[in-house]
Amino acid sequence: MKYVILIHANPNPWGHPTGHFTDEGRRLDATQRAAMDRKFDELMETVAASGELVVGEALADPASSTIYRWEGDAHVATDGPYAETKEHLAGFFLVDVESRERAEEIAASFAHPGDVIELRPAMWAGGPDA
Amino acid sequence: MSDPSLDVVWRACAPRVLGALVRRYGHFDAAEEALQDALVAAARQWPSEGMPDDPKAWLIRVASRRLVDRLRADDARARREERVARRAPTNPLGPMGPADASVDRDDTLAVMLLCCHPMLSRPSQVALTLRAVAGLTTAQIARSFLVPESTMAQRIVRAKARLAEVADPFGLPPVTEMPARVAAVAHVLYLVFTEGHSATAGGSLTIPSLGAEAIRLARELHRSLPDDSEVSGLLALMLLTDARRSARTGTDGSFIPLAEQDRGRWNRDQITEGIALVDAALPFGPVGPYQLQAAIAAVHDEAATAEATDWAQIEQLYEMLERIAPGPIVTLNRAVAVAEARGPLAAMELIDPLLDDRRLRHTHRLHAVHAHLLELAGRPDDARTAYLLAARQATSIPEQRHLHAAARRLEPE
Repeated sequence: MKYVILIHANPNPWGHPTGHFTDEGRRLDATQRAAMDRKFDELMETVAASGELVVGEALADPASSTIYRWEGDAHVATDGPYAETKEHLAGFFLVDVESRERAEEIAASFAHPGDVIELRPAMWAGGPDA
Repeated sequence: MSDPSLDVVWRACAPRVLGALVRRYGHFDAAEEALQDALVAAARQWPSEGMPDDPKAWLIRVASRRLVDRLRADDARARREERVARRAPTNPLGPMGPADASVDRDDTLAVMLLCCHPMLSRPSQVALTLRAVAGLTTAQIARSFLVPESTMAQRIVRAKARLAEVADPFGLPPVTEMPARVAAVAHVLYLVFTEGHSATAGGSLTIPSLGAEAIRLARELHRSLPDDSEVSGLLALMLLTDARRSARTGTDGSFIPLAEQDRGRWNRDQITEGIALVDAALPFGPVGPYQLQAAIAAVHDEAATAEATDWAQIEQLYEMLERIAPGPIVTLNRAVAVAEARGPLAAMELIDPLLDDRRLRHTHRLHAVHAHLLELAGRPDDARTAYLLAARQATSIPEQRHLHAAARRLEPE
């Protein structure tokens, strides 16, 4: 089963890992932050080694994006960011796991101060058994 | 593209070749790599040079050569880099014994049991079984599961590394552990089957269908363990479900539920074989979940029309299944049978408690069944709401379309 883990955050300045650049993350002391980083590195190693991690990308500043919209009979391009929301999409990971429980376990450990993590199942083109 | 019949031959030999290599040289990991090399060589040479007289012996010979080269190279490296005692394989340069046909059966079983070793995660067991037992390449397995080849390779490498820790990889497990180990193999084959059953990635001719592979491997398992009634049940369940495959999808790729399928398109040979297996298995040994699910599939397959389905018998079988393998999905299926046999109200009593179960909040099937019952009970508005609720949780695109269509059908004029 494939799930996407979406990291929504508002690091300022924009940077990765987002937890170092959010207001909440900055309030951590060095020891706490190091422990957090170590735990995250361990998680990434585990899911990469197990073959559960399919792909993951950290995204550039939303201001660097280009937005395309259909207007009239053609597309029109404008400069980003896409939405004036507090949190932007900062990165995503695609995992292929045994169960929803496992996906939830992985996604939960992505939550760092200031981040909002969204776990969404991927849809698939196959039909159900009958 | 290679001749599919050759492909069938060399892949059928895979577990036997691997078994022979591991018994002779040890080193499951290196032996498995050598097997892959030999399969690739067969794919290259057989189509142009013709199939060898004894394909298995050919593969063993080629794979042994590669394995010996590999072990020698490893050995040389070990000496160079570590300057430690020579880590010689059991018998790297020993003479090739004759291919012994009498041990075939046990070899296949031993390889299956090893690939489904309890120290591996289920997805790793699935990946390794497809490679080492079914003889698929990593690229084929990756495409079947719609993941990048590197992801699948990682799963396989890791699985093999973990197996290297097993003390006696080829020893059969103790008798007391055998049922659990065979159950793990059965579950892995069942997962391969359901993946193949639902995946559309197999549309390409270059990927062997996972459903067909699962049936082939279940046949092998059944051949090794003819008296295991659950293995018979597993094979029967696969055949009886696969028999309906071509009737399950419309020409536009839409999903056609059982009740609406053209039963003339069901595969009669598979149904006959499946029913014979269930009939033979049920009177013997403990009745397990695969046998019961196969028996349920058989009742459906035996009905000439949807209306002729013996729902009372299906209800009874689900009741037995719920006793030995309780779970919300079984209860849901039982509720469908109860609705058909005794009406929607009796069925709703069964699923009402499940509607409050937080563990099921992401299960679209609960609301789909609830919607169906509400519709049968003559409550179209509630049914429509439940269909829409189900559609929001569905992750299968054809199924979501089907649920939306059901909701639309109930829209007030």
